[in-house]
Amino acid sequence: MAAAEEENEFYLRYYVGHKGKFGHEFLEFEFRPDGKLRYANNSNYKNDTMIRKEVFLTPAVLKECKRIVSESEIMKEDDKKWPEPDRVGRQELEIVMGNEHISFATSKIGSLVDVQGSEDPEGLRIFYYLVQDLKCLVFSLISLHFKIKPI
Amino acid sequence: MANIESEAVDFEPEEDDLMDEDAGAVDAADVSPRAGHPRLKSAIAGANGESANRKTKGRGFQEERDSDRQRRLSSRDFDSLGSDGGLGPQRSIEGWIILVTGVHEEAQEDDISNAFGEFGEIKSLHLNLDRRTGFVKGYALIEYEKSEEAQSAITAMNGADILTRNVNVDWAFSNGPSVGPHRRRNLRSGRSQRSRSPRRRY
Repeated sequence: MAAAEEENEFYLRYYVGHKGKFGHEFLEFEFRPDGKLRYANNSNYKNDTMIRKEVFLTPAVLKECKRIVSESEIMKEDDKKWPEPDRVGRQELEIVMGNEHISFATSKIGSLVDVQGSEDPEGLRIFYYLVQDLKCLVFSLISLHFKIKPI
Repeated sequence: MANIESEAVDFEPEEDDLMDEDAGAVDAADVSPRAGHPRLKSAIAGANGESANRKTKGRGFQEERDSDRQRRLSSRDFDSLGSDGGLGPQRSIEGWIILVTGVHEEAQEDDISNAFGEFGEIKSLHLNLDRRTGFVKGYALIEYEKSEEAQSAITAMNGADILTRNVNVDWAFSNGPSVGPHRRRNLRSGRSQRSRSPRRRY
C-alpha cells in the first residue's frame, strides 16, 4: 500500500477540560506525525491520579484517523462564531493536515441542543460529531492496548 | 500482567529533544533553552520549516501562551508497554490487535467475527459506530491472544471482501515510529523474530 505517498504530515490534538474544585481536570490526546499516540487523563475526583499512556500506532491506524478527519470536512470550518471557552470548560482541537493547520477552541458542548442554539450550528455539529468519533477511536485503542477503562 | 507493566520503558528522549529544539528555533523570542516547552502548535509548525506556507485558522493562534498546554503533553513520564526496540508490531497487554478498514457501514459484529474467527479466538472486537449516522464508522479492532493468529488474519484477509466491500487488514500497534520507507522492511523481519522467542524464566 503506497505508504510513501501518503506520508503527508499529520498531527492531531484534542483537549477538553476545566479548572474547578477538583483542580485542573482534563482529557487530552494527540496523534503525532511519527505515529505516537499520547493520551492523558487527569481527574482529581476521589483522589484519582493522572493517567498518561503512549503507544506507537502503525501507518494503517494513522491513515484511518486521517480518513475520519477528512471525511468530516472539519478543515473547512472556522471557530469564529463558536461559543468562547468559559468557566464551565474549554475544548481545543488542533489539526495539521497537508498545508492546513487549524487550532480551534470553544466551550464544552453538553448536547445537540447547545449546537442548535449556537451561531454556527452546521460547523459546530461537524466539530461535535468528529470529536466523538475521535474519542471513540482513541478509547478503543487505549483500552485494547492497556486494558484500562478510559474516561 | 503486573509483570508486563513493570517493564514499561521510557520512550526515546532524543526524539523529543529534537522537536523542542526545532520549535524553539522558530519561536525566535525564546532563546533560552530553559524557557519551557514551546506550545505544541509551534513544535509541529516548526518541525519541517513549512509554517510560512501553511494556512492557519482558529482561536488557538490568537491566544496568549498557555503554560499549562506546554506542560501537559510534553511531559516525559507517559507509560508505555515494554518494547524490544524493534520496529515490528507491538504486543498489547493481553494479546495482539489488528485493524480492519473499509468495513461496510451496515456490517454487524457477526459479519466480522465470522470472517475473523477462523484464525483464532477473538478476544475483543470493537466495531465502532459513526456517532451521527449510527452506522459502522468503517473500521474494526480485533484482539487475538497469539501473534500467529493475528498474522494469519492479516495475511488471509488483507484485500479480501466482506459484504462486497474490500477491506484492508494490518497491525494496529508498532514498536517504534513510522518514518521513512525502511520502516516497512523492518516491520516484517522484526515481527517473526519476536513472536518466536519465549519469555525468559528463572
